[in-house]
Amino acid sequence: MILGRVIGHVWAARRDARLQRAKLLVVRPHAIYEPAFATRHLVATDDVDAGVGDDVIVCLGAPARASLGDNNMPVDAAVLGVVDRIEWRPDAMQAPGAGPGIKRPLGGIEAVLK
Amino acid sequence: MIRGTVIGQVWATRKARGLDGQTLLLVAARDAEGQPTGRLVVASDTLDARVGEDVTVAFGSGARNVLRPGPDNRDLLCDAAIAAIVEGAG
Repeated sequence: MILGRVIGHVWAARRDARLQRAKLLVVRPHAIYEPAFATRHLVATDDVDAGVGDDVIVCLGAPARASLGDNNMPVDAAVLGVVDRIEWRPDAMQAPGAGPGIKRPLGGIEAVLK
Repeated sequence: MIRGTVIGQVWATRKARGLDGQTLLLVAARDAEGQPTGRLVVASDTLDARVGEDVTVAFGSGARNVLRPGPDNRDLLCDAAIAAIVEGAG
């Protein structure tokens, strides 16, 4: 799963029959493990009624389809939750036992989580 | 799988039913040399990993197998899960 922010909606009149009722959101990932797309956005279905500006949890791949109740849906990203609270420690990566010390501070994660 | 460090936790009240009961941790990914990559993943945790601990994160069906061994686990809503808590790496 990844964290992202809802930045818009997508309307599509002509769409796959199985997607007729799906609401489609445009999500900007805060930071993503492995971007398969260089466009800094993804389109995700939404079953939890997220709105523009919400921080959301987005699931990728097969579980996104499973969340719609059909493993054959033409979908690979689904909003599964609206984030209430993120608690994190900027110094976590420097804590004892956290492996080699870091050279650059978290690689820019602070910027996206503030 | 990748290696990363737990840096925090995420809470959501409005969520898909399949996420109920899952602890969602924020994991900052490290590269091959152990340096942070600036990339984050939200991973389901069953091992009680704590903030600051190094972990390995499994993706895809491997992640679902952490929550419930397959093959009949395609209904699980999980695409990343903490598979191990790392004590040392050479």
